[in-house]
Amino acid sequence: MVEKKEKPKESSKKNKEKDVVMTKGSNPLNLREHTDEIVRSGNELSRINDRLKEDAEKQVRKLDETIKGLNELASIIKETASQVESIASSSEEHTSFINEMAASIEQITANMVSLTSSINETSSSITETSSSIKNVADVTQEMATSATQVTTSINEIANSIRHVSTETDSLVTSINDTASTIDEMAQSIKSVAENAENLASAAEETSSSINEMAASIEEVSATSENLAALVEQISATIEQTVHSVQGVSTSAEKISESASSSASASMQLDRSIRSIANLAKTADEITNRATKDAQEGASTIEKSIKALLKIKETMKQSSTVIRDMGKRSSEIGSIVNTINLIAERTNLLSLNASIEAARAGEAGRGFAVVAEEIRNLAERAAKATSDIASIIKTFQEVTQEAVTTTNEGLKIAEEGSTLAEDAGKSLKKILLGIEDVAQLVNQISTATNEQLTAGQNLVNEASITATQAKQIANATSEQSKAVYGMVQISGQMRKIAQQVSQAMAEQAKASRNIIKAAQNTNNYAASVSRATKEQADGANQIARVMESMKKSTTIISKAISEQATAGEQVSREALRLARLIENINRAMSEQANAANQIDKAAENMKRQADQITKAMSEQSRAMKDTSFAIDNIIKQIKLITGGNIKQSELTTKISELILDIRRFFEKDVEIVHDSEKIISNLIEKVKSLDILWKKGQSKLG
Amino acid sequence: MPDDKDKENYILFKLVGTTYGIKSDDVSQMEMVEHITPVPNAPDFVEGLVFLRGEVIPAINLRARFGFEKIEYDIKTRIIIVQKGERKVGLIVDNAREFVAIPGEVIKPPPETISGLSGQYLQGVATMGDRLILILNIEKVLNFTNIKTSV
Repeated sequence: MVEKKEKPKESSKKNKEKDVVMTKGSNPLNLREHTDEIVRSGNELSRINDRLKEDAEKQVRKLDETIKGLNELASIIKETASQVESIASSSEEHTSFINEMAASIEQITANMVSLTSSINETSSSITETSSSIKNVADVTQEMATSATQVTTSINEIANSIRHVSTETDSLVTSINDTASTIDEMAQSIKSVAENAENLASAAEETSSSINEMAASIEEVSATSENLAALVEQISATIEQTVHSVQGVSTSAEKISESASSSASASMQLDRSIRSIANLAKTADEITNRATKDAQEGASTIEKSIKALLKIKETMKQSSTVIRDMGKRSSEIGSIVNTINLIAERTNLLSLNASIEAARAGEAGRGFAVVAEEIRNLAERAAKATSDIASIIKTFQEVTQEAVTTTNEGLKIAEEGSTLAEDAGKSLKKILLGIEDVAQLVNQISTATNEQLTAGQNLVNEASITATQAKQIANATSEQSKAVYGMVQISGQMRKIAQQVSQAMAEQAKASRNIIKAAQNTNNYAASVSRATKEQADGANQIARVMESMKKSTTIISKAISEQATAGEQVSREALRLARLIENINRAMSEQANAANQIDKAAENMKRQADQITKAMSEQSRAMKDTSFAIDNIIKQIKLITGGNIKQSELTTKISELILDIRRFFEKDVEIVHDSEKIISNLIEKVKSLDILWKKGQSKLG
Repeated sequence: MPDDKDKENYILFKLVGTTYGIKSDDVSQMEMVEHITPVPNAPDFVEGLVFLRGEVIPAINLRARFGFEKIEYDIKTRIIIVQKGERKVGLIVDNAREFVAIPGEVIKPPPETISGLSGQYLQGVATMGDRLILILNIEKVLNFTNIKTSV
């Protein structure tokens, strides 16, 4: 551009020093060059636009991928949730200590509800995005129609240029006639000068519109920088997601560990329950034996009570017998006393008889002997009775002793009887106690049997929980894989954003070049103005240089044909532009479709979230029977839920960021639209330039 | 064998463990103590009156007469009715159940160491085997006036 800028100056110098005719030939040549250059710049701009569009498409694809990744993430999160649900359902069998877990599940449910609401918000924002994309698509449609209009006007330009070409041919033939009207030309050159001034002003306008375009391109550049920053933010968010997924993964591993430890604990529980069952059995046997022994003891005690009662009876009987004996002995005593009395009286009688016999002398001798014998018998009787009396006395003493002893025995027997009865009562109580114990032991036995089955179930459930925890671990590893995929996608997005940035920079550079070219055009327009004035001065010399003018016209003809080809190129470029705009349009409609799909996906997500919420609430109802052993798992699940919530939040953030990107795209599209407008303006200016040139030519002709 | 004429029949009775003898000829009869009717202003040893075979006979407690303590009557207590002339007196003794013949030569006069009332009432002391029998002087025993004056 710098070399070209110098050329007009050189040529103007040549005009002054050597030949004035050269000025007439050089100006259109330069103009054509500049027009060429502008066209080239336009082409470049188009190319850049094309690239921009391609990048936009890529961006859209990446966005789709991102959304797909988000959906995947959502499905994986859902899978995790379903895993959590199946853990919960497997834990249903644990029938105690559940309220805590239920509360936490209710918390989860609440979180899910909030998730659902945030998904709803996302969905509504996506819907908004979709509508804005539709708007963009409409705008793009409009842009396409205007591009078509531009194409037709460019075609018109090309046609008119062709027309100019043919007319230039006739110009050559009528060049001789031209000479005569040179004077008139001088007059007309003045008007040309005026026109040239107009041209200058038009060129200035073009320059200003180009400046506008440059400014808009700068804006685009700034926007793409913002885009890059956003992409950075997204990738940072995704990295955060990676961290949280890793956290979830470690939590899942911990769950797996605690699940396996709870499985082993349940096995221990099972073993201990088995030993308790055995102990209960032994206790049952022992109680049965104790019952038998106690029953035997009771029967023995009853026997002894009976025996004691018999003893009592017997003792009573013997006591009465002994009392009777005592009575009899005292009766015997009284009889003995009577006998004694009789003996005494007999003795007395015998003594009196002896006294009487002694008084009778010899006659009483025999009687005296009888009396003596009677006295002896009485003595013997008295002695016997005294012996009997002493015996009876001892007998009575013994009887008395026997009576007291029997009474004591009776008392002892009664005491023994009461004691035996007490013992019997105690034994009955013991029997009752043993029966109670036996019942309790039976209850324990049945309870331990139930516990045994429950423990078996617990073992099964724990193993199921362990496998599910493993599944969760797998799911989280898949999640982390998906997130890593997203990271890669975001890296690609970053790259694309960088490329867009680069393209924008190039565009800016190109626009700067265009500005320079426009300035040059201005300069040239000024030069043209100056030259036309000089032309006016040199109008008289024109006649002399008619031959050279002829040559010049041939050159002009050639140049115009070249211009015509250039016009055709411009036309082609315009067609391409139109096609590109159509492509953009198509891309926009695809974007709109994608937005619809996202909307659908968001709705699916919503539905799934609702289902999850419903399932969670069902779970929370069903989950009120889970055991203490799951407390650890609950904690871990809480951690996972926290991770999930974080992920959800991050996903929402990503969605928001994507929405921001969308908005930036929208802006880009608008800016592209502005560019298009500016280009069309530019083309119009070029057209007016061309018309002016044509007018000049005709006037010259 | 000693001659029957040397022998005399005695009723043996007991009083405070000692065996006394009294001539069978002096004893009219023997009875158990059944009913004694007390008499006013009688001396201590006079128990009262007994009614026997239509006769009212004064009864003397020999324990009291001999200065011993009185005891309750029992089945063995005897009242020996002695007769000296027209006088009949009942002697209440602890026991009386033997009728023996004692030869005159075994009866010795009471020893001089036994003087006073005891000696007055005793006629002699007879030894039969290892038994010692105090023979009563019934006349002295029945001498109430003398007794009265002495009391």
